[in-house]
Order: sequence, then structure tokens, then C-alpha cells
Amino acid sequence: MRYKTAMLMGILITATGLMAQQKLTGLEVMEKVYNRPKGNDMEATLTMILINSNGDKRVRKIKQYIRDFGKVEKKIMFFVEPADVKNTSFMNWSYDDPNKDDDQWIYLPALKKVKRISSDSKGDYFMGSDFTYDDLGNRKPEEDNHKILREEKYRGEDCYVIESTPKDPDYMYSKTITWVIKGKWIGLKREFYDEDGEYLKTLNVKKYEKINGVWVLTEVEMDNAQTNHKTIMKLSDIKINSGIPARMFTERMMKRGL
Amino acid sequence: MKKFLLSFVFMFSVLMAGNINMDGFVRSYIGVLTNDSLDYSIVMNTFNLNLSKTGDKMGFKVNPYIYQYSGGNMELGLREAYLDIYFPSMDLRVGKQQIIWGKADGVFITDIVSPKDLTEFILRDFDEIRMGITALKSDYYIGNNTLELVWVPVFTPTKMPPATSIWHPKMPDFPAPATFDYTRSEVRHDLKNSEVFGKFSALTGLVDFEVMGAYTWEDEPTMHVIKHFNLSNPQHPVLDSITIYPEYHRLKVGGGSFSTTIGPFVLRGEGAYYNGKYFNTTRPDAPESVVKKDYVHYLVGMDFSVKGWNTSLQFIERAILDYTDDIEQEQYSNMATFLIAKNFLYETLHISLFTYYDFTDKGSLVRPKISYDIADGVEGIVGANIFTGSEGIFGQYNDNDMVYLKLKYSF
Repeated sequence: MRYKTAMLMGILITATGLMAQQKLTGLEVMEKVYNRPKGNDMEATLTMILINSNGDKRVRKIKQYIRDFGKVEKKIMFFVEPADVKNTSFMNWSYDDPNKDDDQWIYLPALKKVKRISSDSKGDYFMGSDFTYDDLGNRKPEEDNHKILREEKYRGEDCYVIESTPKDPDYMYSKTITWVIKGKWIGLKREFYDEDGEYLKTLNVKKYEKINGVWVLTEVEMDNAQTNHKTIMKLSDIKINSGIPARMFTERMMKRGL
Repeated sequence: MKKFLLSFVFMFSVLMAGNINMDGFVRSYIGVLTNDSLDYSIVMNTFNLNLSKTGDKMGFKVNPYIYQYSGGNMELGLREAYLDIYFPSMDLRVGKQQIIWGKADGVFITDIVSPKDLTEFILRDFDEIRMGITALKSDYYIGNNTLELVWVPVFTPTKMPPATSIWHPKMPDFPAPATFDYTRSEVRHDLKNSEVFGKFSALTGLVDFEVMGAYTWEDEPTMHVIKHFNLSNPQHPVLDSITIYPEYHRLKVGGGSFSTTIGPFVLRGEGAYYNGKYFNTTRPDAPESVVKKDYVHYLVGMDFSVKGWNTSLQFIERAILDYTDDIEQEQYSNMATFLIAKNFLYETLHISLFTYYDFTDKGSLVRPKISYDIADGVEGIVGANIFTGSEGIFGQYNDNDMVYLKLKYSF
């Protein structure tokens, strides 16, 4: 199990930002999705339900805090379920400087120490789910070439349909296609195609709501067509701009836990 | 036994009344030696309970456990039982606690506060190798920097396996009949025999590091040897017998560790200088066949991932300073560890291999393991512990190769 996340909040939060309906490029649309304002801080409970092809369910629950400190964004996650990872915590510092990698630490209660880990595995799957760290919003728009395929209504929303192909030919996806809601800049649906160009999986935003002036995606679902495995992510107990203190993002809190 | 059961009933009552967090595990563990005997190396059932509560100003944790062995033997204990008091910039922890320091994995260099339970050599899970000690610990915080001071009023040595255990260290070939006398092995429980430890640690975006110092006791005793000669012929005294006095000595230790990221690699290092360690010597004029020397112990390690395989390498060296050839231990002893692990099937199947290699005695411990998450919190584990070599820390257990099966339910 990997205990790190990426910019989960990055994909789960969006802003109202009503933009002028001007002619945009594919890159500009994806930058608007990536750069949505998220508020200064956020606290939430994340529940992941993993469902395999037999319909068997596994549940992961995490309490997480995130705060923007200007040049660095800090996150801390406390694992609540399942029982064998309870009291594990994970901390990530993500820097504005594009040349600086994230710093990440994990606290394993069995080892009773905070351990620095490498952040160089954005293609890994998050906690056994169908989401990679990149899928959770960590992938920067400039890492792909973007093209607007068309504009169409999807689930009642006016959307751009964007095809993104990686600049790195060895990347795990050959392309993705994203339905982005105009004005809200929410990626409402995204299809993923594997390295061989075969359809792999689809991300669907099931619910989103505005909390304290910020759009938050409160339920998303990833369906893997090749493995018939599915992951449902739900956010609850959400607080935006509640003033999370800086001391929350320290080794002390990783060890102390909730 | 009844007292313990009543204690558990009492604890559950408190738990129900006080909104206290409860977690733990139940585990069944069976191991079989793969030599001709096919003896069971271990048949053990475990109940481990963590009761805890964390408030704004105070918290506590109690960790009782029961080990039940084949034949009905039972071990009951408290691995931890402490109170926490939280101040704005400081925490105090009072009571029985495990204290873990350093950046090394599976190697003990600056990690010398909590002694080890080597009843099953080093095969137990790390949190079960660590013994809780009664201590007063204070942590003073300045951002992500921590100054930690620990006072241990009562010295606790390493817990060794009984002489009947397959994990009892092999005795050397003595030149004459040997008798052990334990009358000098007690460290009196008084203030002047207490231990103190201090550590400053920092966690930064560039590097994490620790600097530590300790005024402690060696966790394993020095073997003082008194030789008894037959002097019936004074011209040619004959060694008649020897008496061995295990005795603990004070140690002063200073050291540090660091961890940093270089691209996809995590680089780790740890080292310590030990002042005042006694080593056995063959020098005839050495009192009780021991000599006092300093030594250094250090490690460099690297963690990285290759196509989803998490890999870790560590190289460890121990060097005795001001060495003379009469010292029975080698001047340099070198070891390496290697870990490779990967998850499959949506992280329900875990495969790993952890290996120690002892360059000095050319022995190793190879630990392959496969575990499968049958359901949330339910884990089945199959593994092996394979020893190679003929002497040294691992080679001495060459007849103890084993395969094992564990079933663990976490709640």
C-alpha cells in the first residue's frame, strides 16, 4: 500500500470563477482546471470504497488537512480505516517551484518513527484504488499536449471536450479525453486510454457542491473497464478556510495523530 | 492468570465507560523447522490491545498483550502504559513507552533507548522486538525542530532467549570447564544507575537530521573471565576451570543520522561513537580478560523504486578504535541489508524479500514473505527465514531455517 497522495484537493475543489466565454486553447482550458482557486485551507474526511469484479467491497477512510502557505502547500493525512493501517499518517509539502520535487514523509505506528519517502512515483496507484497520484490532480498541464476536440452538452452542462496526449511517450496513458464544464472548470468526466491505445477506465464526477464559496467535488467514481474494478471517493465533513494552524503540518502531529 | 483476566474485564469496563479508542490484533502463528526434525520452531497465538485517548491537554495509551505458546505457556505483559501531557510547545510522556530513534531500518546504531526482546532472535515484528521502558520523556518543539530529553530511572537490559531455546546464542568453545556466575550482573535500581538520553531533530524540506547523546548502559553484558589454575606444579600451571561473570558497564554515546531526497532516491545515514565498551581479549595480563576500547558504528542507505518494486540497500560497519590483535572480535565488522517489495492485485497481495548479509562471518538471513489481504484487516502471511553460513550472528542459526504461516486480524 502506498500512503501518499497528490493534489487530491486539487481535483476535488473548484471555484466559481465565471470566465468570459472567449476562444481558448486546449492548454488554457486545462490550466484553468488545474489552477482553480481552492481556498486557503481545507479539512475533510475522505472515504474510498473499492469494489472488485465480484462485487466485494473494501473501505479506506482518511482524515485530511491541507493549507496553502504561499510558496508551499502542505497536506497531512491520518488513516482511520482499515484497522491495520489505523494511526498511520502521511505528510506532503508541494512547492510552487516547478524544479523542486514534493517532500513526503510517512509515520508508521509499528515503527514509531517518521520516515522520509520519495515522491517519484506519480504513476503508482493510491492506496489500492483505481486512482493514480496523477489522476488525483498532480499532473501539470504542461506535461501533455492538449487539443479541443469539440464543444458539446454533457449531463446538461456546456463542456469542452479536450484530448490530452503525453509529451513523454513512455507515460502510462497514451491519451485522455476530458469533458470540462465551461465557466466552472470542472473535469466532469475523463476517459483514460492505456499505453497500447486501448480504452482503460473512466472518471465520473457524481456530485459537486459549493462550500464557503468554493466548488467541491464531493463524490467521484473511477471505473476500470479492463479489470472490472471500481473506486468511489466521497468527501464529507468539509470545512473550507477554517484557519487550520501551521502546527498541524509537523512531525509532532504525525506522531500524535488525531 | 485469573488476575490478568479480571484486569482485562476491568479494562473493557473502563473502555465502555470512557469513550476510549480501541484497536489491536489477534494473530495465530506457526513455524516449522525445515531440517530433518521438522520440529515446530514456534506455535503462538497473540492478543494485542491498544487502548488510547488523545485530548487537547492530555492523553494516554495502554498496550497489554498476551502471547500463548504451545504447551500452555503464556506470557502477559504491558508493552506500553503511559500518560501524555500537552503544552503549547512541549509534550511530556510519563510511563512505560517504546522510544525509537534513528533513520536505519532493522539496525540499531543511535536507536539505543528501548532495549530489545530477542526471545525469537530478530524475527518478530519491530514493534514486538522493542521493549517498553519506564521513562520520563519531554519533547520541546520549535516549528519542525524537536529537542527530546529522556530520563530512564531503571536500566532494562536486552531480553535474551532461555538456554533451552533454539535462538539462544551459541557459546564459544571454552579452554576449560566454564561456570557462569551472575552475581555481578545486576544493575541496582537507584538514581545513580539511571540513564539519560538527549536528541535534537529537525525535519526540513532539504534534509531531516538527528543529533543525539546518551549516558547509558550497554544492553548486553560484557563477559568477564576469571581463570582458575591448578598450581600443583608451580612451574607449569594448568588451566583448571574458568568462571564467567556477565557484567553491565556504562557507555557514553554520541551520534546522529540524516535522511534526504536526491531525485528519485532517498539517501540515509546514521553513525555513533561509543565510548567505554569492554571487549574480550586474549592478552594474558588483561584483568578478567577484558579491555576497554571505543568504537564507531555507522550506516549508509538508499531507498528507491524500480517499476513499482520498492528497494532499499544499507551498508553497515562497526570499527573498534585503537585496536590490538589480542581482541577477540574483528577490528572491522561489516554487514549489508537489502529489501525489495511490491504490491499486486490492488494492494491486496504483498511480496517482499528482506536480507541481512554479514560480510565478516559470511552468513546471512534471508526473509521472503508473501501476504494477502483476505478482507479489510484480515491478513494471511506465508514466509520463510533462511540462515546461511556456519558462524557469526546469522551463521550460528544455520540449523534453524524455517517456514511459517500467520493469520492476523486487526480491529
